[in-house]
Amino acid sequence: MAFLEVEDLKVHFPIKGGIFGRTIDHVRAVDGVSLSLEKGKTYGLVGESGSGKTTTGRAIIGLEKATAGTVTFDGQDITNLKNKSDVRKDVQMIFQDPYSSLNPKKRVLDIVSEPLRNYENLTKKEERIRVQELMELVGLSPESILKYPHEFSGGQRQRIGIARAVALKPKLIIADEPVSALDVSVQAQVLNFMQDIQEELDLTYLFIGHDLGVIKHMCDNIGIMYRGRYVEEGSTEEIFTNPQHIYTKRLVAAIPDIDPKNREAQRQFRQEVKTEYEQSFNDYFDEEGLAYQLQPVTETHRVALPEKG
Amino acid sequence: MWKFTVRRLLIMIPQIILLSIIIFVLAKMMPGDALSGLIDPNIDPERIEELRHMHGFYDPWHKQYADWVGGLMQGDLGKSFRFKMDVTELIGQRVVNSFWLSLATLIFTYLLAIPLGILSGRYNDSLLDQTITTYTYIGFATPLFIFALVMLWVFGFMVGWFPTSGSVTPGLEPGTFEYVLSKINHLILPSLSMALIATVNTVQYLRNDIVDTKQKDFILTARAKGAPESRVYNRHILRNSLLPIAAFFGFEITSLIGGSIFIENIFGYPGMGQLFLESILLRDFSVVTAVTLLFGIAAIVGALLSDIILSLVDPRIRIK
Amino acid sequence: MATSTAKVSNEQLKAQKSPSGVNIIWRELVRDKLALFSLIFLILISVFVYGVAIFLDQEEIVRVDLFEIHKPPSEDFWLGTDYGGRDVFGQLIIGTRNSLSIGFLVTLMSGIIGIVFGLVSGYYGGHIDNILMRILDFFLVLPFMMIIIVFVAIVPEYSIMTFSLIMTAFLWMGIARLIRSKVLQEKELDYVQASKTLGSSNLKIMFTQVLPNISSLVIVTMTLGLAANIGLESGLSFLGFGFPESTPSLGTLLSYARNPQTLEYRWWIWVPASVLILLLMLAVNNVGQALKRATDARQRRG
Repeated sequence: MAFLEVEDLKVHFPIKGGIFGRTIDHVRAVDGVSLSLEKGKTYGLVGESGSGKTTTGRAIIGLEKATAGTVTFDGQDITNLKNKSDVRKDVQMIFQDPYSSLNPKKRVLDIVSEPLRNYENLTKKEERIRVQELMELVGLSPESILKYPHEFSGGQRQRIGIARAVALKPKLIIADEPVSALDVSVQAQVLNFMQDIQEELDLTYLFIGHDLGVIKHMCDNIGIMYRGRYVEEGSTEEIFTNPQHIYTKRLVAAIPDIDPKNREAQRQFRQEVKTEYEQSFNDYFDEEGLAYQLQPVTETHRVALPEKG
Repeated sequence: MWKFTVRRLLIMIPQIILLSIIIFVLAKMMPGDALSGLIDPNIDPERIEELRHMHGFYDPWHKQYADWVGGLMQGDLGKSFRFKMDVTELIGQRVVNSFWLSLATLIFTYLLAIPLGILSGRYNDSLLDQTITTYTYIGFATPLFIFALVMLWVFGFMVGWFPTSGSVTPGLEPGTFEYVLSKINHLILPSLSMALIATVNTVQYLRNDIVDTKQKDFILTARAKGAPESRVYNRHILRNSLLPIAAFFGFEITSLIGGSIFIENIFGYPGMGQLFLESILLRDFSVVTAVTLLFGIAAIVGALLSDIILSLVDPRIRIK
Repeated sequence: MATSTAKVSNEQLKAQKSPSGVNIIWRELVRDKLALFSLIFLILISVFVYGVAIFLDQEEIVRVDLFEIHKPPSEDFWLGTDYGGRDVFGQLIIGTRNSLSIGFLVTLMSGIIGIVFGLVSGYYGGHIDNILMRILDFFLVLPFMMIIIVFVAIVPEYSIMTFSLIMTAFLWMGIARLIRSKVLQEKELDYVQASKTLGSSNLKIMFTQVLPNISSLVIVTMTLGLAANIGLESGLSFLGFGFPESTPSLGTLLSYARNPQTLEYRWWIWVPASVLILLLMLAVNNVGQALKRATDARQRRG
């Protein structure tokens, strides 16, 4: 059993309609996702907007109700678990928007100590010391704990969010596009910092993102989602050197290569992929435009191709 | 569109049922019953008990409710013990007066609101706008009944331009020109008093809407294309801002009812609001029940009309 | 840059405290001269009426004295007497105190109910919210003025407390609706989601996370509500369905003007009360509008 095991996870949202506002259909935001993640590793979940990657992450941590499927964490079934429990303490989240994820009416001290107050009985003084330590850990001045979020920059705010997420010494962190709201210049800083504390605190990441460059930099394994389903899954190496699905190929081809010597080869590769994409896009999806079941290519590499025959 | 209208109509059914239940419960809580006024005090109390049994006063509540609703359906609102007549008949006289008062008030309200709102919004931050805004500001804070008292004092008693009570000068023949003139004369002061206060919300809304719309991109585009200012206002801005205002009249009915209770009381105008207060003071509860029910239905229907008209004017509302 | 550790003294930390929402509102209020003036006026009036009322004997003032009926203002009676020979000035003081008190009481009670209801309905959403809102919509459409009057007329053992309860019962709905729609927006923000993942209970999130963020709306609504409630109370008293005559309110004095004789010839009975109500409502509204501007950054005056 892996550290985090997601089995055939489905999250469907009802569509209301008609005169009586009954449920007439469902949006299949996540439609049968399975993934497993080893301790200390980073798993990247990639997809375009609306592909269901964020919903997957939110269902794992319990912010969305899973319609079907199971989530097993450290040997325990945590599917649709209530808010407060000891397992929840071990799974934390870093949010995409560092502006809305910090309560604007609270001081940093109150923000970072919120999880501590929920799970640990500390005196005011101990609490303050812990928060100051955490601030130092994320590279912010411990003196600033009485400031309000609006007094910090985006990057600093995201660090506060990270300090809050690691306050309870969790084992798994779900990072929902943690840098996409930040300036490019700050992105690398925050990413490297995330890698540093991963080592320091022995963290496991589920990294959700749309930027393949970032994902390549951060992740050991990658899953690519399209309209609620997986199209391809494998190690970073396999996905980037040997993409099988046309959707993956197109994504990989789109990554810019800085080395000028490769420029011509890149351009040609991109052209080829584009032609193939235009000609055979439909072959890779079923009649509804959804991905097929995953077929194994190697032990770790699986791809959604129509069954041969 | 049809879907919205049908849905909105369907919502009204439970609303009216709920209203009837509330009023029924209120009526049951009121001391005394229709018989306490109907019956000659000389009649033997045993006979009254008998009559009460006969009229179903000891039936279980759901049967009483069903009988009551059944009566309502046939236009039977009960009997007034004070006036010794059917409530339906009694209300019939008053409802006409109230209708004219409401209509006059609505007309004055929009007659004031539209030009004031447009002027204020078009020339915003000018001296004119500031004057109008100050008026709306004070009007918003002024309780209707104080304003009405002052109006009555000044224009009714001190200057003496308008009659100080009633709906028509007694002794005039209905149908004659004098009669109509007298009716109108009696309407002006009460309806104008109510309108001057009621209009401020609409003026403010219209002003803010026009100021907002003025800065929208499609207006800038119209200007950039060289449309003359009058065309920009008539074609683009007013079309956007005036239609919703026109639809608000249905929502106004609720405040109109509240206002008419004060206005009719102060100006001694024999309408429904006056009847309501009189009946409460005289404990003539079958009339109270009937008036409350009618006013409640009027408010519900008003909201319905406004909702439907608004959904015609502004498709975004339909999504809800 | 983080060289010093957890030994930063409390004093130093306090000194760095940045302006909070309340401070911003306060600054705006002070900058708005009219609102500041209104606020000072309100405070003065309150201090005056509550202070003077201590020395006034309510029983004495409302006692009927048939030898002093309808006296115009004089040295004995600064504002004359009413049809029962009662001192209008004394009634004015006590009436203002009573009107303000019930205004505060009703605003507070309806505010609390409305906030709790709006928070719960908006935060949980879904079917409960749907049903509750349908019911609220219904009550908001009803001419509540009439229903309050009916209640006042039929309630047994009528007292100030039952009167304020009846008013409260019909006044919390507007607040609830306003709060609810704000909560609907607010709960979608990530900080609420974050609190959930951090193990805070729903109740805790509602009252310690969401509530502070809608506090400005609450303050503005309650202030404007106070003005409306003072107006409503005096209106009901004016019609004779508010305070009993033994407990005068500003509306009671005005109700004497329903007698045409009083309206036409005895201005001293009703004009002072009218002016006072008007000033009170204008002042409370001014403060409320200034708060509204202060909490809406777009309308701030600088």
